[in-house]
Amino acid sequence: MTEYEAIIGLETHIQLNTETKIFCACKADSWGDPANSNICPVCSGLPGVLPVLNRAVVEKAVLLAKAMHAEVQSDSYFDRKNYFYPDLPKGYQITQNDHPIALGGYMDLPLPDGGTRKVGITKLHMEEDAGKTKHEHGRRLVDFNRCGVPLIEMVTAPDLRSADEVAAYLIRLRQLLRWLDISEADMEKGHLRADANVSIRLKGETGLNEKTEIKNVNSIESLRTAVEKEIARQIREVEAGNAIEAWTLDWDEDTQSLSKMRSKETMADYRYFKEPDLLVVRLDEAWESAILADFPELPLARRERFVREYGLPEYDADILTSERSLSDYFESVNQAYGGDPKRVSNWLMNDVLRLLNEQGLEAKDLKVTPGYLAEIIKLVDANTINTPTGKALLEKVQQTGQPPKEIVEAEGLAQVSDTGLIREIAARIVAENPDSVEKFRGGKEGLMGWFVGQVMRESKGKADPNLAREVLEELLKG
Amino acid sequence: MSAMELCDLSAYELAALIRKREISAVEALESTLERIELVDGRPGSLDAGEITAEDHAKVHAFITRTEETARAQAQAVDKSISEGVIPGPLAGVPYTVKDIFNVRGTRSTAGSRILSNYTAPYTATAVERMEKAGAVMLGKVNLDEFTHGSSSESSAYQPAPRNPWDTSKVPGGSSGGSTAAVAAGMGALSLGTDTGGSIRQPAAFCGVVGLKPTYGRVSRYGLIAFGSSLDCPGPVARNVRDAAMMLSVIAGPDRRDSTAVTIPVPDYTAEIEAGVKGMRIGLSPDFFKIQYFNHESGQMEEEPISDEIKQAVEQAADRLSEMGARVVENVPMPRTKYGIPTYFVISRVEVASNLHRFDGVKYGYRTPVPAEDLDELYRRTRAEGFGAQPKLRILMGMYVSAAQYSEQYYQRALRVRSLIRGDFERIYDPQGEYRLDALLTPATPTPAFGYGDVYGDTVLMQYADQFTVTGNHAGVPGLSLMGGLSKERLPLGIQLLGRDYDEATLLRIGRAFEVATEDAAWRKVRPQVLEGLS
Ligand SMILES: [Zn+2]
Repeated sequence: MTEYEAIIGLETHIQLNTETKIFCACKADSWGDPANSNICPVCSGLPGVLPVLNRAVVEKAVLLAKAMHAEVQSDSYFDRKNYFYPDLPKGYQITQNDHPIALGGYMDLPLPDGGTRKVGITKLHMEEDAGKTKHEHGRRLVDFNRCGVPLIEMVTAPDLRSADEVAAYLIRLRQLLRWLDISEADMEKGHLRADANVSIRLKGETGLNEKTEIKNVNSIESLRTAVEKEIARQIREVEAGNAIEAWTLDWDEDTQSLSKMRSKETMADYRYFKEPDLLVVRLDEAWESAILADFPELPLARRERFVREYGLPEYDADILTSERSLSDYFESVNQAYGGDPKRVSNWLMNDVLRLLNEQGLEAKDLKVTPGYLAEIIKLVDANTINTPTGKALLEKVQQTGQPPKEIVEAEGLAQVSDTGLIREIAARIVAENPDSVEKFRGGKEGLMGWFVGQVMRESKGKADPNLAREVLEELLKG
Repeated sequence: MSAMELCDLSAYELAALIRKREISAVEALESTLERIELVDGRPGSLDAGEITAEDHAKVHAFITRTEETARAQAQAVDKSISEGVIPGPLAGVPYTVKDIFNVRGTRSTAGSRILSNYTAPYTATAVERMEKAGAVMLGKVNLDEFTHGSSSESSAYQPAPRNPWDTSKVPGGSSGGSTAAVAAGMGALSLGTDTGGSIRQPAAFCGVVGLKPTYGRVSRYGLIAFGSSLDCPGPVARNVRDAAMMLSVIAGPDRRDSTAVTIPVPDYTAEIEAGVKGMRIGLSPDFFKIQYFNHESGQMEEEPISDEIKQAVEQAADRLSEMGARVVENVPMPRTKYGIPTYFVISRVEVASNLHRFDGVKYGYRTPVPAEDLDELYRRTRAEGFGAQPKLRILMGMYVSAAQYSEQYYQRALRVRSLIRGDFERIYDPQGEYRLDALLTPATPTPAFGYGDVYGDTVLMQYADQFTVTGNHAGVPGLSLMGGLSKERLPLGIQLLGRDYDEATLLRIGRAFEVATEDAAWRKVRPQVLEGLS
């Protein structure tokens, strides 16, 4: 059977999470706001207005460029991209064409087989967003709220080889954008938009065949599905002896299918030229080093370090570095704890993550400070409380914000390690359950767990389960 | 000679009298409104009907008059002064605004049908600064549509302005309404714009002072853009001191315009009387001929400029020399001849893009014909809303910036532009051969031409800007002022071109020339429309 490989490149638009728009003082984020409520003469393109560049946009672009190993340019320029559309109030988009803020770059994408895919970046520049149009009752309505919202357009080389790699790239990109506090990077809300260029070729071939472009996909999962379907379609076409045409394909979320968009007969000429209303963006050394002064360790590097430095399994390291504040939290707990990092990791991976997910929090927002969590783990280690109590304590600290030790004292949660008391409870249970005793003695040793559970219940969870087991074994076997 | 009215006083004189409470701002305003009544005729409108003989004798500077807000402003100034507070250096001085600036609550038409119903929701920075300085706005004055012309005839609002010195002549353009108004006593000052000569050329035609400041010296915020890299708002005044006062008010950085420079603004009147002793003022042979490309022969050809203008410039050089300036002759400015062709490309590319926004979707004119689809809405709106000049310029701009032609035209024009800039850098270089403080040139090749004589020939019209346009390419300041009167009793304009941000030197030279020619016979002659006024 013929083997094909897919050649995929992604064109992404990243909405930056700046306070204000790129060229005016309007609020950038209009999520949930009424149409045309965040607009001014500048972003709605009234006659006579001029753009003034928001420096925060440049700063975020520089952070991303650095993270993508791109070459940040000391001088970059804005250009006008001219075209007519109702949601483009000036009739041109201010973008960067000839001299963008950064050149080149790549992302090292870890693959499930342990290898790495080097995904090249061919374009990284700043630009303004356009507004939105919608059709309603035979009318075309325009909302300018999104006009002038800052974007970074970032385009990859055709270096991705499967739908899974597309998804993996976007997950890594999303992680990075949030890590650097550049963007909320939510595809569902359009903070991160991705179009995929897909073509196939026989394995071993080196040339590029005709590609199609997939547009309007609103989640990473949907894009994975869309790309998968398109690869399958292209293979079917080629197998049937048909040529692939350079279509633009529109994704329909409801039917989970792609359909051909109306194609334009001619390539648009945007008549790019340098935006005369803006000066050169001059990134002098002082500004650049101020931007990069607090440049953080990036997720993949941190993941690697967690494995190396703390001896964590890859799996743990990956999850703990999925989000910057979680990985910071891990390190702080670990430092306060001073014991086995894997033990801290277990607490985070099981209990803390569940708490974060349930409450929709980030680790930095927890009332359980790293110090408190270290304290809880130490209490369990010292057998002052047992593990289930420790887990319950975690929830209580999060609810109240009180130090764990205070709660343990106030609520008398300390573990019962009194052999006499445990022996008394165990003896009562053995006496009250002759059937079970008989079965145990007849070889059903699995019942031990049940006996221990009964002791724990009777002691309201405070008994040291190891001690209870010891006593029970003595009583049952003796 | 008719009696001087308050409206004929300079801004400097008016402001002083008002400040000293010798006259009131309201009196100054009423005198000016009376003058407008007498000489301006009907304001420009879209449905002017037949242009009558009476129209031919009037100036028609205005599109929109704002008497009511002007009265309120003047009363506020008087009230403030009676309370001992001087609102600003131009308190009570009546002025006009070229209708290319946005003024909140005022119709802002750009001389175009496409903005006929447009009321600006905000005020341009330069106008805002005039308001803050206490100046009283009389209204919005006429211009070539979107400033596209050198005669003001292309306005969609007719009758178009006429030259107060001879109403059969054009006032020049595109700030023709501004210069005609100032020449005829309809406001001591006017706010104009200069993209290729649009302040200096009409100032020369109307015998007033026009200053194109250095690019970036005055904020462009609120100025409806023509050539964004060339546009300069600037003063039109009756004398040099007034222009200096107005520049001091409107110049300076603006957080809404990133191309407005942050260099501090001097008081331009401070050194104005300091004279020209020791200054080096150049004369260039390249400014004493018209050079143009002959499409039939394929050659650059030359024609002499008007003898009278040539003499006016030479006489000005003599006067300045007598006052102690060193006149440096034969200063080469070899790229002057490329000014117009280069301008034809760069300004058109920028304007084609700048005019994209007028699409009938958001504001302004929209075709009344129900459109089948969006493209038809655009096409009809723009076909009906724009006049011939914007259309020609859009077409040319689209062409020379198209992907396949951009290198050949637009990119090349940009390179020529920097060569033109090089001409200026060479003559002002303090270590160079010429070390000039300013270049003295004719402002225009001819005095005002006849109404309708050139209109329709876009290329010929553009050559009226031959001597002014290189200043826009280079970004340097230029001052246009009256240097004499022709036998036909038309003003002859001379121009001083200066160093970046050195308007002060130009104003100082201009003022010295005024002093030197104070008693010249031509200084006593008044514009035709003012003759015989009681
Ligand atoms: Zn805005």
